[in-house]
Amino acid sequence: MRELVDDLRERLAIVRQGGSESARAKHTARGKLLVRDRVDRLLDPGSPFLELSPLAATGMYGALGQDNAVPAAGIVTGIGRVEGREVVVVANDATVKGGTYYPLTVKKHLRAQAIASDNHLPCIYLVDSGGAFLPMQDDVFPDREHFGRIFFNQANLSGRGIPQIASVMGSCTAGGAYVPAMSDESVIVANQGTIFLGGPPLVKAATGEIVSAEDLGGGDVHARTSGVVDHLADDDAHALRIVRSIVATLPRAGSRSALDIPVPSEVEEPHEPPESLYDVVPTDTRTPYDVREVIRRIVDGSRMHEFKKLYGETLVTCFAKIHGYDVGIIANNGILFSESALKGAHFIELCNQRGIPLVFLQNITGFMVGREYENRGIARDGAKLVTAVACSVVPKFTVVIGGSFGAGNYGMCGRAYDPRFLWMWPNARISVMGGEQAASVLATVRTDLEDDEQVEAFKAPIREQYETQGSPYYSTARLWDDGVIDPADTRRVLGMGLAVAAHAPVPAPNYGIFRM
Amino acid sequence: MQKILIANRGEIALRIMRTADALGIRTVAIHTADDRDALHVATADEVVEVPSYLDVDAIVAAALSSGAEAIHPGYGFLSERSAFARAIEETEGLALVGPSADVMDKMGRKDAAREIAVAAGVPVVPSYAGDVDPADFAYPVLVKAAAGGGGKGMRIVRAAEDLDAALAAAKREALTAFGDDTILIETYVERGRHIEVQVFADEHGNAVHLFERDCSTQRRHQKVLEEAPAPTITEAQRALVTQSSVRLAREVGYTNAGTVEFLLDSDSGQVYFLEMNTRLQVEHPVTEEIVRVQGRRIDLVELQLRITAGEPLGFDQDDVTLEGHAIEARIYAEDSFGGFLPQAGRADLVRWSDTARVDHALVSGQVVSTRFDPMLGKVIAWGEDRESARARLIEALDHSAVLGLTTNTGFVRALAASDEFRDATIDTAWLDRADVPAPPALVPLKLAAWVSAALTSPRFAAEGAGDPFAPDGWRSAGPKAPTLVALEHAGEVHELEVDVAASTIDSSPVRERRLADHVVVLTIEGRDELAVVDAQAHRVEVAYQGQRFVFERPDAFADHGAAVGDGTLVAPMPGTVLDVLVSVGQQVAGGETLGAMEAMKMELALKAPFAGTVTEVSVVAGQQVALGASLIVVAAGDD
Repeated sequence: MRELVDDLRERLAIVRQGGSESARAKHTARGKLLVRDRVDRLLDPGSPFLELSPLAATGMYGALGQDNAVPAAGIVTGIGRVEGREVVVVANDATVKGGTYYPLTVKKHLRAQAIASDNHLPCIYLVDSGGAFLPMQDDVFPDREHFGRIFFNQANLSGRGIPQIASVMGSCTAGGAYVPAMSDESVIVANQGTIFLGGPPLVKAATGEIVSAEDLGGGDVHARTSGVVDHLADDDAHALRIVRSIVATLPRAGSRSALDIPVPSEVEEPHEPPESLYDVVPTDTRTPYDVREVIRRIVDGSRMHEFKKLYGETLVTCFAKIHGYDVGIIANNGILFSESALKGAHFIELCNQRGIPLVFLQNITGFMVGREYENRGIARDGAKLVTAVACSVVPKFTVVIGGSFGAGNYGMCGRAYDPRFLWMWPNARISVMGGEQAASVLATVRTDLEDDEQVEAFKAPIREQYETQGSPYYSTARLWDDGVIDPADTRRVLGMGLAVAAHAPVPAPNYGIFRM
Repeated sequence: MQKILIANRGEIALRIMRTADALGIRTVAIHTADDRDALHVATADEVVEVPSYLDVDAIVAAALSSGAEAIHPGYGFLSERSAFARAIEETEGLALVGPSADVMDKMGRKDAAREIAVAAGVPVVPSYAGDVDPADFAYPVLVKAAAGGGGKGMRIVRAAEDLDAALAAAKREALTAFGDDTILIETYVERGRHIEVQVFADEHGNAVHLFERDCSTQRRHQKVLEEAPAPTITEAQRALVTQSSVRLAREVGYTNAGTVEFLLDSDSGQVYFLEMNTRLQVEHPVTEEIVRVQGRRIDLVELQLRITAGEPLGFDQDDVTLEGHAIEARIYAEDSFGGFLPQAGRADLVRWSDTARVDHALVSGQVVSTRFDPMLGKVIAWGEDRESARARLIEALDHSAVLGLTTNTGFVRALAASDEFRDATIDTAWLDRADVPAPPALVPLKLAAWVSAALTSPRFAAEGAGDPFAPDGWRSAGPKAPTLVALEHAGEVHELEVDVAASTIDSSPVRERRLADHVVVLTIEGRDELAVVDAQAHRVEVAYQGQRFVFERPDAFADHGAAVGDGTLVAPMPGTVLDVLVSVGQQVAGGETLGAMEAMKMELALKAPFAGTVTEVSVVAGQQVALGASLIVVAAGDD
C-alpha cells in the first residue's frame, strides 16, 4: 500500500506543476500567479483545500508529463474556506493549453458546479481561459452536458441563492465571456484580464476592425464603460482580496447545520494513526481482511456502534462519528448475500429516518451467485438494497477502498447513485466484473476455440483490457470519481465532505416499492 | 501625619501615594472634570474635583475640606510657584511638602540664585555685567531670561553683531513667558554634561547631599536618559559639586528636597552652577536606587514627608554611601522617529517590564490626551556597574510595550544601546544634532507574520481540533500549503510565507521559543527576537525593541483610486463650462480641480482622475457642452 501511495504522490506532483516550464515562465513573467498560488491566496490563511479529481484527463490526450498531456484537465476545482465559509473554487490553468476547455475540462467544471448545487456552496471562478478547445469542438460544444451547461448552471445556481462570483485574471473569450457575465459579482485584473465574445483576430475576420485586446475588452473597458465587471483590480493578489471581500458580504444561507449537526468541537481522534491503514489493508483485493480495521482508523475515538453484527456478516453496518458528525457506515466485509443486502437496506432506512449521512466503504466483488441463491431470490434482496440506496435522501459518500464490481457497485452507492462525493483509494479496481471472469464468460460463448491454447490467446487481451480499465487512474482521468486519495486522508476528506454537505437541507424520505 | 493632598496627577501622584500608603497616610487626589478617569483618581483614598491643576485657591480649599495636613506638589504644575507655597504657609494647619515660599522666590530667579551661589562659594558661569562692551565678550555667549526655565528666552550668540537681535528676541520671549524681561549674558559652554546634586535639609539645620545624577542626554533641554552616579566626573569634581550644593542649601536656608544643577564643561573640566530646583525631580528614582543610608535603601518621598512633619533628617553625611549604578529612561507619548510629534490616543495594550522598576501611570485601555504632560512613565534599571545597569535597561525597554499609540520607547532604547551613551560621550546638545536611526521593520514584520499565521493555525483556531476544515493548510493533492501573510507597512505590501508546523518564514528556519499572552520570542538567524504583538482583524501592532510598528492587513478597497486608464474628463451632463484652470502641458496632482461646469443648477468640479500631465483642453469657459463631450485629457505621469 505504501508503494501505491508513493506512486499516487508522484503522479500528483507532476500534475501540480501545471503546464510546461516555458508556459509557466511566460505566465509568471506577465506578473500573473500560477493557478494553485491563486487558490492559496484566495483561501483563508491555513484553509485546507480538498482538490477534486486532480488527475483528471491523465493519459486521455497525452501521457502524464508529455507535451500533449492536459494535466488536471487544465482546471483546478475543489473546496476550501474563504472568509470562514466553505466555497467551491473553479480555476483555469492558463499554462495548460491556454486554459482551453477539453471535453474533460467541461466535465470537471460541471462536476464542481454539481457539488456546489448539492451542498449549497458559493462558486468562485478564477477565469483565465481561451474558451473551447476548437479541434475537439464536437465533444465540447453541442451536447446537454457540454460547454453551455456551465452557464445554464450558473443561472440556476444563482437563482437558488447560491452565489456565483468570477474573477477574470486572463483571457475570457467567446463562451468563456459568459462566466463573468453570468456571475452575481465579478472582478477583473487591469491590463491583464480581457472579456470578449470575439477576440481581435475574429473581429478582424468578421468586420475588418483592427482593435487591441485591451481596447476591445480590457479591465478598464469593462469596469468603466461596459459594466460587465464590477471591480477593477491592480493585480492578481488584489483581485483575490476583492473576491474575499465579496464573500465576506454574502449572507449566511441558513445555519451551518441544516442536518442539526453540531459544529464539531472537542473531537477524539482515532486510536490508531491513519498511516497504519497502509499496513492493515492488503493491496491484493482478493486477500480478505476485516473491514472494521479500516473503520476503526477513520471514526472518532475508533468507536463504532455496530448494527446487526451477527446477521449478514459480510456487510458491516455501524453508527459512528467522523470529525464529530454522525454517520452511518456501510462497509463490505465479503461477498453480498441476501442477508447482507437486507441488512444494508434496513440500515439505510434507519439512517434516512434519522437524517444521518451515509458512508459507503466499497470493496465488493458482487452478489453471491449459484442456483441456491438465485432460487432463493437474491436478486429480489439485491433490488431492496439498490432501491434503498437509490431513494436515500441523506447525503451519501462513497469511498472505493478495494474492488467495485458488478451489481455490488450499485448496491454500494456507485457513481450512478449520486453520492455527494466518490473517492478511490490507489488500490481500488472498478469494472463490471473481474477480468478473468469476463474473459471466461466471453470464451464460453465462443464456439470456435479448439484448444486451451486458443482459449488462452483469446482471454489474454480481455484480461489486459480489464486490467487497464479497472485502474483507479483510468477512472479518475474520466471523472468517474472525485479523486484518488491517500487512504490516510480518508477521515479528513470525509470530514470536509460532511461539513459541506450540512449546508443543504435534507428532504423527507420517500421510497419506491420494496420487492418483498 | 494622617492625611495629605497630592496636587498632581500621573505617575508622580501614584509614586507619592505608594509611599503614603506604606506609611499609613491617607491620600487625597485632585482632578479636573475631564480627567476623572485618570489612574491617580482611582488609586487615591479620597478625591476632590478642582477647576484646574493650577488653581491655588481651589486646591488649598480642597486640602482644608478634606482635612489634609500637607500638600505634596509633585513636580511641574504648582510645585515651584512661590505663590502656592505662600498660600499654604498662610493657611492654618496646612504645610507644603517642600521649601518655603521665600526660598522658592530666591532660587526661582536665575539672577538671584546666581548671587546666592557666589556668596556660598559655588562656582558660577562667567557672566558679563551691563558695563562690559559686547565687543569684548568671549563668544559664544548664552543670553537667557533671569526668570526663565525650560529653555524659554534662551539664545546662543556666536558673534557680536548677532547680540542685539538675540537680546531683543530673548526679552520678548521672557516677557511673554515670565512677565519679566531681565536678561543674563553668560559664557556659553559648547560641550557640557548636566550634573545635578540631590540635597535634603530639615528644619533643624541639618543638610546633606545624596550624591549626584547625570542627565546629559537631553533633547531641547528635555531630559531623556538620567543616571546616577555620574559616569564621567572625577572625585575632585564630585567633591566640588556635592559640597557646594550643601553649602548652597545652608546659605539659602533650604528645607526639604532640592536639586542643584551644574554644567560640567567637557573641554575645560570646569563645573558651573546652573540653577536650583526646589522640588522633587522626575529623575529622583535613580538616586533612590543607588543611595544607601546606613546601608539601607531610602525613600525620598518618605524623607520629604518626615521633614514636613518636623522630624530631623536622622542621619549624617557619613551615613550616605553608594551602591551600583542606575539609569532611568523617560517614556513620552511622542513619535521620536517622526519629528518628535506629540501623540495621543487609546493605549490598547500596555506592557511594562517586570525586571526593572517602572514608575508609570499608564495601563491598557487608557486614553492619552495632549492636554497634559506627555510623560507616561519611567523605566529605571539598576546594576552592579554602569554596563550591567545599561544592559538591564535595554532588556526592560525590550519588554516594555505601548500599543495603540506611539511612544519614544524605541527611541530611548536605541539611545541606551548607542555607542555614544555606552561611552558616556554625550553632551547636552548631542541629541539636537545626532540622528538616531529607527530600528528596521524587517524583524518586527517577521514577528507579526508569525503571530498572524500562528493565530490562524489549528493551535489557536476557535473551532477546535476536530474541525475537518481546521486551518492547517492541508491539501488533498499535495504537501501542506504554507500560510501567506500579507502585511502593509509604509505603503508597501509585504507577503510572507509562514509555515508554522515546519517552523519557517519564507523557507528560512525559525524557532518559536514563546508565544503567549501577547509576547512572542522567535529565534531568527540565531538571534532571539522578542516582541509584544497585538494582532487584530485589520492590523497587527508590534512593539519591537520598544518601538511600535503598525502593519495593516491590505484592504482590497483602500487606496486603490482610479487605476491608470482613461484620463479623459467628459461632461457628466449637458451644461456650460464655468472655468478652465489648466492648460496643455501642465502637471496636475490626482484629485486636483482642473475646471468647473454648471448643469441642472449644480456646479461640478472637474477633477484629475490621477496625477499626470494635461495633454488636451477642448473647451473654454462659457462654452456649452453636450453630455459625454470630451473636456480635458490627462495623461498619467510617474507621480
